[in-house]
Amino acid sequence: MKDSTKTSIVMYALAVVFLVLAGAFLSRGWGQTPALQPIPLVDSEFLKTATVRTSYAELVSSKADLSDFDCYGCHEKGKPPILRFDEKHNLIVPEEHKDIVMGHGRNNRNNLCTNCHDENNLELFQTRDGRELKFSESTELCGSCHGPTYRDWAAGAHGRTSGYWNREMGPITRKDCVSCHNPHSPKFPGRQPAPPPHTLRPLNKPAHEGEREGEHEGEHEGKHD
Amino acid sequence: MTDQPSNESRRDVGPEREAGGEPNPEGMSRRSFLRTSAVFGTGLAALAAGLAPLLDVKNFPSLQQFMQKYYKEMTPEEMAVVLKRIENEVERQYGIRPHVRDLKPMDGVEFVYCLNLTRCIGCRKCVHACVAENNQSRSPEIQYIRVLQMENGSLDMEKAVHDYDPAKVPEKGHFYMPVQCQQCKNPPCVKVCPVHATWQEPDGITVIDYDWCIGCRYCEAACPYWARRFNFAKPSIPKDRINPEMDYLSNRPRSQGVMEKCHFCLQRTRAGRYPACVEVCPTGTRKFGNILDPNSEVSYILKTKKVFIQLKEELGTSPRFFYYFDV
Repeated sequence: MKDSTKTSIVMYALAVVFLVLAGAFLSRGWGQTPALQPIPLVDSEFLKTATVRTSYAELVSSKADLSDFDCYGCHEKGKPPILRFDEKHNLIVPEEHKDIVMGHGRNNRNNLCTNCHDENNLELFQTRDGRELKFSESTELCGSCHGPTYRDWAAGAHGRTSGYWNREMGPITRKDCVSCHNPHSPKFPGRQPAPPPHTLRPLNKPAHEGEREGEHEGEHEGKHD
Repeated sequence: MTDQPSNESRRDVGPEREAGGEPNPEGMSRRSFLRTSAVFGTGLAALAAGLAPLLDVKNFPSLQQFMQKYYKEMTPEEMAVVLKRIENEVERQYGIRPHVRDLKPMDGVEFVYCLNLTRCIGCRKCVHACVAENNQSRSPEIQYIRVLQMENGSLDMEKAVHDYDPAKVPEKGHFYMPVQCQQCKNPPCVKVCPVHATWQEPDGITVIDYDWCIGCRYCEAACPYWARRFNFAKPSIPKDRINPEMDYLSNRPRSQGVMEKCHFCLQRTRAGRYPACVEVCPTGTRKFGNILDPNSEVSYILKTKKVFIQLKEELGTSPRFFYYFDV
């Protein structure tokens, strides 16, 4: 076979290969990246800026139903309610107040209602140093025992602040203690976390995932007291 | 290169046909014609195949965007034109008329962030509030904040869990450490940028000009906090989730192939407001303010609290992001 014929055959073969490749690239016959699973939008519940509770002051300003705070709708004036305790000295919460879960203080020991409520006027609070405070002044009441936390709160370092960091440009909203803490059971409640990040790699579940399952139910101890 | 044989072959086609298929003594033989046209065709096809990826590019920059000047060199009038262009583009792409501004840093303000590790419960609300505020891509997902679940008694981030998803947080035996851009005083990401598309502003925020970024991802590699994100695909944001309050340097929609990162919600904080992550935190873990104001809450925290870490402070990046504990 002549050299020139060989060259021609190679040239034609190369041309065909290139044309096939070009056709394949243009029609995207391969190399298509697999489509990723679409990621669902996050539940807008997680985007809400509301605190976990509503304080009395906020209820008043939003003109909500305040019948829960009308003590003398049921109680009799001038007749302090009688508190009953079980043999372990835990408060027996009366049927009418069964929505109240007592969990204040170390080992839930701050369970004497009159530590905060004034037994002679149930619509007032009393501090241990003898001050009388309205429901709307509950922050002062909390501060009468939790001094360092109150100091931090007053400085803006404890609790949620909203609005403007620059006081000249707009108001700052400082939430009351009871906007986040249930006064009868102040430990901040656990909550469902927002969805984790969707990584491109398969999720690396930690090896001890299974062991943790049973522990979710119990309250997280010793962190937020 | 392919032009030369093509001209020749075209010129030679005529005479060849006229000659009724007989080889033209003055022109080219049938064989050499076929060979030349095969080479030409192959070259053309290879060129087309090489350019094929261009078919995937959907949003070519407009001439106006292409000719746009560097952020720091633009006059206010030129910036007004650019803001108008961005508003039009966003309206065309997302069907919502935004309000794009170019807020400048305030005098006597240096932003600092404080995060209380005692309080964080790891609920990730900050992550998603940030995404909503800053028009990040939802799918593929871009998030500026990563909440790390850490073992109690250790700050070993190698052992941190990123994708914890129990029914309820916080979990026993763990604490949570959200990490985002630390707005370093000595930012490694700024040093490596070959085109000066990212820089530190006088109020301490390291920003990116998305129209100047070439997407080389050097900054992503340089950042020790894994705070920078790259838009591998065109961001997808549903129309009803667009935040129309935008700023040139912060939350205007990005294009494919540029970097982005936390900018302390510049569009909010330069207007005096708190960042979105501060506003949404249910536990008051996150604190933000002006460190140059002695009465701000961040000044109070740095003065009175046990400020435990600047993350990876041994690297000398000097973050403006402080982690502290309540004692």
